[in-house]
Amino acid sequence: MKLLDRLQERQKLDADLFIHRMFLTQQPVMLAGYKSLIDLPHTLMLLQQQAQNAIAAERPLFALGSGIGDCISPTEELKVIEAMSEGNLIILSESSDLCIKIVPISRTLSRAIEAPTTENVIRGSVSAFNEDLDTNIGLIKKHVHSEKLRTQSYRFEKGQRRQAILLYMEGQTNPSFLNALKRRIESNLGNNIPNLQALNKLLGFPVWTLISRFNTTELPENAAYALEKGKVVLFLDRFPFAIILPSMITDMFAVANDRNFPLFFMITMRLLRTIGVLANMLMPGLYVALVSVNPDVLRIELALSIASSRVGVPYPAIVETLLLLLVLELILEASIRLPKTIGPTITMVGGIILGQAVVNAKLVSNILIIILAATTIASFTVVGFHNSIFIRISKYLILILSALYGVLGLFAGVVVVCVYLASVNTFGIPYLYQPKARENSDG
Amino acid sequence: MDKSLQVMVMYLLTHIGLIFFMYPTDIIEVVDVGHWSAILLGFALHVALMGIFLKGLGYFAPRNLIDIFLGVGKVFSIILLLPVTLYFLMTIIIDIRAYSEIVTLVFLAKTPLWVTMVLLLSVPAFISALGVETLFRSGVLVAILFFPFLLLIFCLSFQNADWRYIFPLMDKQAASLSYVVSRPYLLSLFAFTGGFMFLGFIPPYITYKRRKVMWASALLLPFFLISVYVPILTFGQSTASRFQFPFITAVDTVNISWLMFDRVTLFLLLSLVCFAMLFISLIMWKTTLLIRRGFPSIRPVTTTMLLSLAIFIVCLYIPDWKTVERLLWWNTYLRLYVMIVIPFITLFLGIRHHRKGAACP
Amino acid sequence: MITKHHIHDVLKMLLMTGFLTVLCGCWDIKDINHRTLPIVMGVEKKNDAYNVFLLIPENNQGGTGAKVVTGTGETINEVVDRFSKDMEVQVDLLHLKVIVFERAIAEQGLSDSISSFMRARDISPKTIVAISEEKLEPLFEKLKSSSKNGGVEIYNFFEKSAGWTPHVAQTRIWQIFRSLNSFTHDVAIPIIEPGRTTTIASTGSAVIKNGKMVGKITPDETLMFNAFNGLGTQGRIEVMDHGSVLIVADKLTHSSSIKGNKAILNCRLQLKVTILETKGSPSVTMIKRELDEMLTGQIQQMFRNIQSKEADILGMGQFFRTKLSRERLEHWRSEYYPYMKLNVQVNTIIQNKGLLKMKN
Repeated sequence: MKLLDRLQERQKLDADLFIHRMFLTQQPVMLAGYKSLIDLPHTLMLLQQQAQNAIAAERPLFALGSGIGDCISPTEELKVIEAMSEGNLIILSESSDLCIKIVPISRTLSRAIEAPTTENVIRGSVSAFNEDLDTNIGLIKKHVHSEKLRTQSYRFEKGQRRQAILLYMEGQTNPSFLNALKRRIESNLGNNIPNLQALNKLLGFPVWTLISRFNTTELPENAAYALEKGKVVLFLDRFPFAIILPSMITDMFAVANDRNFPLFFMITMRLLRTIGVLANMLMPGLYVALVSVNPDVLRIELALSIASSRVGVPYPAIVETLLLLLVLELILEASIRLPKTIGPTITMVGGIILGQAVVNAKLVSNILIIILAATTIASFTVVGFHNSIFIRISKYLILILSALYGVLGLFAGVVVVCVYLASVNTFGIPYLYQPKARENSDG
Repeated sequence: MDKSLQVMVMYLLTHIGLIFFMYPTDIIEVVDVGHWSAILLGFALHVALMGIFLKGLGYFAPRNLIDIFLGVGKVFSIILLLPVTLYFLMTIIIDIRAYSEIVTLVFLAKTPLWVTMVLLLSVPAFISALGVETLFRSGVLVAILFFPFLLLIFCLSFQNADWRYIFPLMDKQAASLSYVVSRPYLLSLFAFTGGFMFLGFIPPYITYKRRKVMWASALLLPFFLISVYVPILTFGQSTASRFQFPFITAVDTVNISWLMFDRVTLFLLLSLVCFAMLFISLIMWKTTLLIRRGFPSIRPVTTTMLLSLAIFIVCLYIPDWKTVERLLWWNTYLRLYVMIVIPFITLFLGIRHHRKGAACP
Repeated sequence: MITKHHIHDVLKMLLMTGFLTVLCGCWDIKDINHRTLPIVMGVEKKNDAYNVFLLIPENNQGGTGAKVVTGTGETINEVVDRFSKDMEVQVDLLHLKVIVFERAIAEQGLSDSISSFMRARDISPKTIVAISEEKLEPLFEKLKSSSKNGGVEIYNFFEKSAGWTPHVAQTRIWQIFRSLNSFTHDVAIPIIEPGRTTTIASTGSAVIKNGKMVGKITPDETLMFNAFNGLGTQGRIEVMDHGSVLIVADKLTHSSSIKGNKAILNCRLQLKVTILETKGSPSVTMIKRELDEMLTGQIQQMFRNIQSKEADILGMGQFFRTKLSRERLEHWRSEYYPYMKLNVQVNTIIQNKGLLKMKN
């Protein structure tokens, strides 16, 4: 019994490994597996039951085809170890030289299905994906009852081994896109995917991009909607969200959940998000352009009140705006790190105390505070945190151009942003592509 | 994939970006009364030539103009396309110089010209380097963003209109069409020709339906009429003829008490400048396409960069507005060639090709 | 297809040009608190030199108050430049709302000033023009002392959405410029003076022909002028022997004809009024008849007044554009207008009588 010896050898180095002796249908067997992954008492009960059944049916338990598990040749130690680390139970029969891998009752190592943590749902299904791949697929299958749903599994073999599952609807998805994606994944199966940046690289998207080529969602509802729209959903083991490809500009403004509201409400909500995005990108730039380059565009009343609020501010509008924007970005970043209980404190300190003091000390004009506060709020009307990043960054481009060229710079900045959006594509599907539906969606 | 919508939008944008600056000046200079006849004549010419051009291209679909001409012979295509390239180059130079002058004149009085030109050149260079698909897609996006705005301002621009200035509708001079050969009238044709040549270059990258594009041209007529008639109705012929950019001045007189902005002109002007940027990038893309056919060894991005550098240097050497006008006039000859000769030759080649195809299928 | 690598080249190039531009400096940047935005400019002549007044809102916290600066020079621009030099901020005429000319300048001719305003874009063509009968000093003193909101008061005096009434003409630079070139259109410019209790008072309008002031009309005539030009007369109280009415709506229809060489214009002015107050106990018909007669008389009188000056401030030539060719329109002011016949018919409808009953 070479394999058993070796396992015992290994046990000395790996405290988690157990080797348990028991009798099944009067035959002595050895069970091997990882304690942390297998719920041993329940598994033993299961095995006993199987044995009872085998006796009742009067057939040998370990006969091939009795169907309690897969046979592994005992000489292939590596395969055995791998099977164990995947959470399987190995049965070694002492009498015959057999090694069987069976699926045990495993410990629950993932959370239960909970409400989403980064996406809020007001009216719609609340369950969210978790870290367990099979749970996620199950959730999707609950949402999409269709015989057209196709599931493909891939395994990335290097480093942290990871399983990936690709879901799509047959006949809905653009075939050239699907083939390109599959080919790309299949030719890169030897890679390691510790994070989404690596996934990005694996799929061959440019590293220096401002727009993530895939959209992520925690909600099965959104993923199901994406599948129906002909997109491809990719699940990675241990990532608690679905990765949706290709990402499109509509993802910034539309979520599936919108359709649970009356149509008019849906349109206004999306319009509001669009306005939010535009306001966020344009307002700081517009302020700088109007205050320092083209004050003639303002109405006289407004011009006078801005001028009086800026009296005593020691630096030009662009510096003023950049400073305050920096503070705001710091507050944003800090509030992500902070525990939920301290969150409100930072809001108060940052928002009220700092803001008030800054105005009183005449470091910035109070109109700018209003504008930037509105801007920051507006930046989160957009759907998905990863989408808001693009808007947050493009704001600075527009700001700098506006400081140089005034309103002309603002407009040129908008054009450049539009062009950048238009230049993005995912395996030949442009970011601005509209899949049939003519919804109100622009950027 | 049918991208007619993108083509239509781009067609509209490029023309709108062109017509509101110099076109009304020329038309108001051409005739004292009956401007509509001059506009309609130019427009009819435009539609007819475009129809001929598209018809000719239709025989060869989905090949583009360069392939068609190369199919006939290398020398033939060089002779025919060289003036076209030259025309494109001159158009870019004139446009960049003229628009930066306008920008300086209207609202960036202290910014040196070259800085404005850098902006007006680098953005189109960036766009054209990203390729024609990007260009057309961003056209749609830009249109969605700016067009509502523009339409609002067009509506508002009638605020000070005195409709009686439309009269008299006609006189002998306008009826005789004697103005057709006059210099300003020939100059005014630039608004009609600059645009539609791109239809011959974009296939097979972007395909479109001929009829839809023809319909888009019908949408253009109101803009031509607005560009001339708003200043006429606001100021009257004799005053309007004194302005360098009558339409801009006419919009300047609009007084809106409910808007937080005082000068809506600026927004109008800048939307138009943005459209013009798209137009320039389109021509730039066409020019690089032509140049790369001649010298296939150069990388496309290098071509674009060298081209914009060369254009920038030439633009720096244009000292004043008068030179711009002179260049515009010299360009008229090339323009007449491009707008008349190229469509007819395309049609001729198309019919020949069609016959051949019919004879030996 | 262009590879990503190339796009990065382009991006690098753009970044470089961007940095270069930033390094080279920013030209038009001048923050709004370093500019001064005069609201009113006054121009008067003093021994062949221009004396320019500027009413400037004071840039202190709260934005109240205003100050007046004056200077003398050969041209208006020269004076403004001198202000820029001497003050701690740059003078920016972009937001100029009202330009007041002294009467003497208006009589000599405004055409050069107006043309140069139109040529240089730093003064908006929407700026309102007014004429002062007296020297400008007292007017600006009054404006300064009564400025509570940074001197926007005088602007509101002319602004239709604020305090404008139809007794005051409202003429902008571009309209004067149009009248300089037009064959058929002259303008009237409001005449203002410092009011006794109010900030400004209007004493009528100046009749401008070819940029020169040739006559004057009263506020009541200005009302007719505004009605003719389609600026609503709403809210106007008309005082007569027997009471006063409020005009709610007015409508003007014309028909023009040329007989021989004589232009004839038939006008029908239809007014809808409500009765505000009565003296004694007049009947509705009486008020109606009196109103008709009075208005007809007023219009005819004003017309004769301006006709004698050959100044077509009502733009009557416009109605003959369909009848006359362009060559003949050119001589409208000299050949047709002085001999034109105007038939006015005023038709009043008393829409209601207020909350009290009245006999018919």
